[in-house]
Amino acid sequence: MDIAIPPDIAFILLATVTLLAAIMALQAKELIYGAISLAISFIGIAGFFVFLDAPYLAMLQIAVYVGAVVVLILFTIMLVRREVVRETEEHEEGGEGSIGLWIAGLLAVSIAGVAALAGPNLPTTAPPANLPVSELGPVLAIDYPVPLVILALLLSAALLGALVLAKLEKGQ
Amino acid sequence: MVALTSYIIVSAALLGIGIYGLSVKRNAIRILFAIEIIVNAANLNFAAFTRYMSPPQVSGQVIVFYSIAAAAMEAAVGLALILVAFRLNGSIDVRKLNKLKG
Amino acid sequence: MVNLPATPADILPFIIALVTSHTFITIVLFPGFIHLMLVVMFLTWYERKVLARIQLRIGPLYAGGPGGILQPIADGVKLIFKEVMIPYKANKPLFIWIPLALVFFAAVPFAVIPFGQHWVIANLDVGLVFVFALTSLFPSMILIFAWASNSKYPFLGGLRSLFQQVAYEIPMWISALSVVLLAGSLSLVDIVNAQQKIWFMVPAFLSFVVFFIAIMAELERLPFDLPEAEPELVAGWYTESSGAIFMVLFLALYMKLYLMSSLVTVLFLGGWWGPAFLPQPVWFILKTLIVATFIIIPRGVYARIRVDMLIKLGWTRLLILALANVFLTVLLLNTGVLSMWGL
Repeated sequence: MDIAIPPDIAFILLATVTLLAAIMALQAKELIYGAISLAISFIGIAGFFVFLDAPYLAMLQIAVYVGAVVVLILFTIMLVRREVVRETEEHEEGGEGSIGLWIAGLLAVSIAGVAALAGPNLPTTAPPANLPVSELGPVLAIDYPVPLVILALLLSAALLGALVLAKLEKGQ
Repeated sequence: MVALTSYIIVSAALLGIGIYGLSVKRNAIRILFAIEIIVNAANLNFAAFTRYMSPPQVSGQVIVFYSIAAAAMEAAVGLALILVAFRLNGSIDVRKLNKLKG
Repeated sequence: MVNLPATPADILPFIIALVTSHTFITIVLFPGFIHLMLVVMFLTWYERKVLARIQLRIGPLYAGGPGGILQPIADGVKLIFKEVMIPYKANKPLFIWIPLALVFFAAVPFAVIPFGQHWVIANLDVGLVFVFALTSLFPSMILIFAWASNSKYPFLGGLRSLFQQVAYEIPMWISALSVVLLAGSLSLVDIVNAQQKIWFMVPAFLSFVVFFIAIMAELERLPFDLPEAEPELVAGWYTESSGAIFMVLFLALYMKLYLMSSLVTVLFLGGWWGPAFLPQPVWFILKTLIVATFIIIPRGVYARIRVDMLIKLGWTRLLILALANVFLTVLLLNTGVLSMWGL
């Protein structure tokens, strides 16, 4: 780009969109609105990957998460009857709501606090990077071949598992 | 450029949101949303740390690559389980799905 | 670098520098917004003319200009003035925003497609994956739109469209993998540059065929017309859209057609390489229009494919052919057969 935009504003905007979308994914009344907000949150995380000089990961995130996982979620939402979904959404929180909020809030604040306190010791500017995409392939195949093969086996196992579960549900 | 601390704060906030969803929500599909948010927070953390090391490594990106693939698989199998549980019990409320007998 | 104006006296020079910068011209004018709109409108007219000639009639003739070339403008004006009917209890915000999102995601991949050596908006290192990632978003948006119509015909059409598009994405990706192996890079500019001596259609012919068929299924063109089967589903997943919403959807569909045709040109037909008596972008658009013609022609010729044959074709036969071509490409590359063309 030959037009200068300060990167801090872009980061804050992206962080706001991602966090708001994540909150909306859990709090939206309709499940489908929640799925759409989740998709927006995933696209926000892909934007973060672009900031972090990992463009291939960003595209992979969009293609796998938004293109496949969100489709699966939408499918499942449509296969689960609407009346059922509606009755679980009422009387959502009670006492558990506030305790969950406190625990999650304390955890997040403590991690963020540690990061902020250790701030001066952490790098404030990114070191000059040379992470071309063509370097990812050799590292995957040469340095970490065993996890690659295990991933392939895991994928086959997940595929067979999902098929078996679908068959079971039809048989009963 | 943004400091590494900002990425950790965003990642921690996403983790908090995910844990809130995991512990409070009754709908099994919302719990799956929360799990995906937590996994994304961890991925963001890995990608940020691997970028800010000196010199920046590409092995963090490999970890995120595997994490994305594994989380997609886990979502697929989890959704199949939710469908089967719905067919057998007629509900996706996790409070009603707590009996081990079919 | 164009810097933001620091003082009010800087505003006019900033605007002038902005308008003449390469980024602005490529985004707004040439491979960008205005060119996209013009070509998409031309494609709607072109399709009707081609189909008419196949069916031994003439097609749109009276809308103005030679051969009715202003017909798309007449269509647009008619659709704008039609009443937008939203079905009872349909989801209004989704119904209105999803067609806009479809147009957005059909237009954004044009940012990485190179129309000439320097006529590309953004030369990403991962250009090909960018295009594929964005086209994988369509099935979910179509499903949400179909669900938001709160009506049975669109919902069934949306489910069918989802099955079809998801099934044919995989042969598309794997046949593009052969091209990436041949070119050695994921960037679309590098892929076109590697085709300087030989078009990738020749060493990867099987991939070309698989990619072409997969694209016709992605675009829901006959013979893969199931989501729009007229005797069964009225109009498929866009049954309930009317007026301006239909116009936006129509635009999105033809943008997708142009996108996929230009992808075929970039990956297999040598992009903008051609004898030097025509400028490079003209060669690109010419090849893209020829590919679009070959995508439009089967609509007037073939019958619709059956759903089980559709699924079997996508998940088994095309996949095996694409994988066979990847194997063949690796063999050809390693034995040095293609070294005389610099691959």
